[in-house]
Amino acid sequence: MKRALGALIALLGIATSVCAQSDVPILSGALAFNASTTGGATSFVPTLAPVLVAPLGDHWLIEARADVLGFFAQQNGTSGPYNGRFFATFDYGQVDYIANPHLTITVGRFLTPFNIYNERISAVWIANLQDSPIIFTIGTRTSSASNGGMLRGVVVERPNWLLNYTAYFSAASTTENLLAGRAAGGRIGMFLPKAGIEFGASYQRFLQDRNYNAAGTYLVWQPPQIPLDVRAEYAYSPGGQGYWLEGAMRVAKNRSDTSWLGRLQTIARVQQFFKGVPTPQDILPSADVNQFDFGLNYYLPHDVRLNGSYGRQYSSAGNANIWNVQIAYRFLFPAWPGEHK
Amino acid sequence: MKTWFTILFGTLLLACSLRVLAQPQSPVPATKAPTPAVHKKAKSNDGEQRFQANCGRCHTPPEALSPREVKAVLQHMRVRAMLTAEDEQLILKYLAP
Repeated sequence: MKRALGALIALLGIATSVCAQSDVPILSGALAFNASTTGGATSFVPTLAPVLVAPLGDHWLIEARADVLGFFAQQNGTSGPYNGRFFATFDYGQVDYIANPHLTITVGRFLTPFNIYNERISAVWIANLQDSPIIFTIGTRTSSASNGGMLRGVVVERPNWLLNYTAYFSAASTTENLLAGRAAGGRIGMFLPKAGIEFGASYQRFLQDRNYNAAGTYLVWQPPQIPLDVRAEYAYSPGGQGYWLEGAMRVAKNRSDTSWLGRLQTIARVQQFFKGVPTPQDILPSADVNQFDFGLNYYLPHDVRLNGSYGRQYSSAGNANIWNVQIAYRFLFPAWPGEHK
Repeated sequence: MKTWFTILFGTLLLACSLRVLAQPQSPVPATKAPTPAVHKKAKSNDGEQRFQANCGRCHTPPEALSPREVKAVLQHMRVRAMLTAEDEQLILKYLAP
């Protein structure tokens, strides 16, 4: 596996060098620092999450993301000196072939397309609240990634609506940093651009150890007239089911308002989780959970974001207050210097 | 793990070196283009509308994108966010006219 990964990375480097006369790869991602206190236990998490995107002509694309994380917490949870360490994770490394408007073929390690949080919202510079939803691991399990192949594309496109799909298969892997479960699944989504509504459904059959199904639905609503973002997901697996509903509102007249007040965004999220039968490799809570969170985002110039949130979790396993404060810098630049196009 | 990162950084370094050596020096300084400016008025209303409708579904747009970066960003989003080919072309014209 290490040789395969090394070969992939080497291929990436050589291919981008040779073919990228007109296709400039980019380095994107974020540098962030998060301070969190959950139930009285404080932790600090510095994060570097670089993303490499290398187009090779109009049809081929190579994408990869890694996370370098630090985790520092008190030795005895709520007392003692702070200890910690840095570690790295390989989130995804995939080769995409954009065959035509209806089909893109992806091979490699990719973020599991179950609902939309994992693929599109979980990045540290995108998520409005730093704690992932409780149901996040349904359909994504522990690594959030799949190793194998994926087909995706737009089935039908009309001026007022668009139908898209994703289908994938993942092989099992227990290799460090390449963890994945054997599974197959898909997602279908509908986007109504004029109404700012997107919704869809996901299905996954987990094919390892004990076979079981997971299913989910999602909704995104962005009314064009006001700077409001509403997102929601529901997910079910034998291990439990639940939902989250999040609203984020800019204190501005429109989305492009960059006044000092217009850069402020308020966030609220409510979620519920209902415990089912414990299943292999799920890391769901051991009991029913109700939780609400309130947060504030402030978008500073130069793609720096300040974020703070408070949450209250109610569970038979114990109630807890959750505080998060974060600063994140989102970067994006060409992977190497060159002329303007 | 260390081996992977050594390979990764080594390869990237090699790739960058090859690319810089292979490319003739441009008289234009390699700074960010004074553009597209996501918040500035655009020539293409269609492109702007597609940009607002698609990109804002998940994230706030970056403050500025240089024309050199736009193609990679759009191909990335075409795969990730299911942009259509038409979306990609219109937004490309809007961001890098």
